[in-house]
Amino acid sequence: MEILAQVVGYTGLSVEVLILFRSIQRKMFAKYSIFYTYLLTVLGVGLFLQIAYTATPSLYVLLYWPLQFVTMALGCGVIVEMSRHVFAQHVSLDRFVRWVAIATFGAIFLVFAIHVVFLPHWKPAANPAELERNLRIGQAIALMTIVFLTGYYGIEIGKNMKGLILGFGVYVGASIISLTLRLFIGIRFSPIWKQVGPFSYMTALLIWAVALWSYAPAPEVSSEPAEEDYRGLAGRTRQVLGTIQEQLNRTPQR
Amino acid sequence: MIQLILSLLVGFVLVLSLYFFVRRARPSAEGSAKQLREARQTLDSLQYGLLPSDLTERLFSRADLEYVLSAAPPDVQSLFLTDRKNIALGWVRRVRTAVLALMRFHRGHARLHARLTFSTEMRLALNFSALLMTCRLLQITFYLRGPYAAPGMVRTAAAAAGRVCSISEKSLAFLNVKGVGPLENDAAHHRA
Repeated sequence: MEILAQVVGYTGLSVEVLILFRSIQRKMFAKYSIFYTYLLTVLGVGLFLQIAYTATPSLYVLLYWPLQFVTMALGCGVIVEMSRHVFAQHVSLDRFVRWVAIATFGAIFLVFAIHVVFLPHWKPAANPAELERNLRIGQAIALMTIVFLTGYYGIEIGKNMKGLILGFGVYVGASIISLTLRLFIGIRFSPIWKQVGPFSYMTALLIWAVALWSYAPAPEVSSEPAEEDYRGLAGRTRQVLGTIQEQLNRTPQR
Repeated sequence: MIQLILSLLVGFVLVLSLYFFVRRARPSAEGSAKQLREARQTLDSLQYGLLPSDLTERLFSRADLEYVLSAAPPDVQSLFLTDRKNIALGWVRRVRTAVLALMRFHRGHARLHARLTFSTEMRLALNFSALLMTCRLLQITFYLRGPYAAPGMVRTAAAAAGRVCSISEKSLAFLNVKGVGPLENDAAHHRA
């Protein structure tokens, strides 16, 4: 099991390097700057922790969760970047997702800050898994909002963004499930939890590697909106709906 | 325990939504001439094909039923009721399909607007859902109690047709986008 974990760890590092190499080769770094910064940070943190683990294990224990939170905070930024790209031509939807993301992340950080300030006995180092799970739930809500809105409004997404959302979603989903089970089942679940994290991250990396192999922007919207404003459209649609509804409601009663 | 269930639920819903996200078919180009034409045809179909008074009167007229009940043998009566039930079910199904198409068109059109308000969108989504549910209820009523379970349908539909016509005229305005010529609103083409 230990060897398998090491293989997954080193393969993950190689895939991260490959994705970053392709981003420079294909000049994509600037286009998805937050995502590549996130990946670069994860790579740096991973290498640093690996060195710390072999050299001074106490330093590894001390720095593991703080560094994990840095990458998680950047992960929240990746979701905002996803929204910006997916809804590049749909300003209102982008605004809405940002609002949802800021509200959820803000609420989680606020609760965390309240705990730190007002509960002197509450130590972040003692509850890192809980905080990570809460942050992952915030990320999941923001991701689901993006996925729902693209489906509801039938918005076409480019290959790059589709891969980013899918990879990130797989990792976040697996993290939430495993962290929750670990918190409630306890130490007995730890061996599984230790495997789920690296494997789900590896899956995400492979999806990203395929999706970001070359630059594929979101397809252009082929037409311009009608000249009249949205309120007019919504008002008329509601009027039509209301009348049809009225007729259908009355029909069975007469 | 509630926290456990909610957290797991979020995780599983995310995974499920990703599954549908991957399987999603490629959407058609919004605002394309084809889509605009289809939306207009849907409105025409509702206006001239599905809701006019003469059609619904004929379809749900009790006079036909009374005639068949008084003059025809039982097997013909049964055949008549089965046929009428199928027609009534088909009618509701088509109304529902038209409403769904209108809903799709609205969403495709609305997403391009920079000033889209979510409270309005939520209200519209609820209205569409209510309308679709009404159609479903009608389907169930017809299925369980037959096409004559709603005896006042003819008069209501007759009044409705006039109102729908005028409102449809207004709603057609949002389909008048540059480059799309007016279509012929020939009722004969849309008869159910």
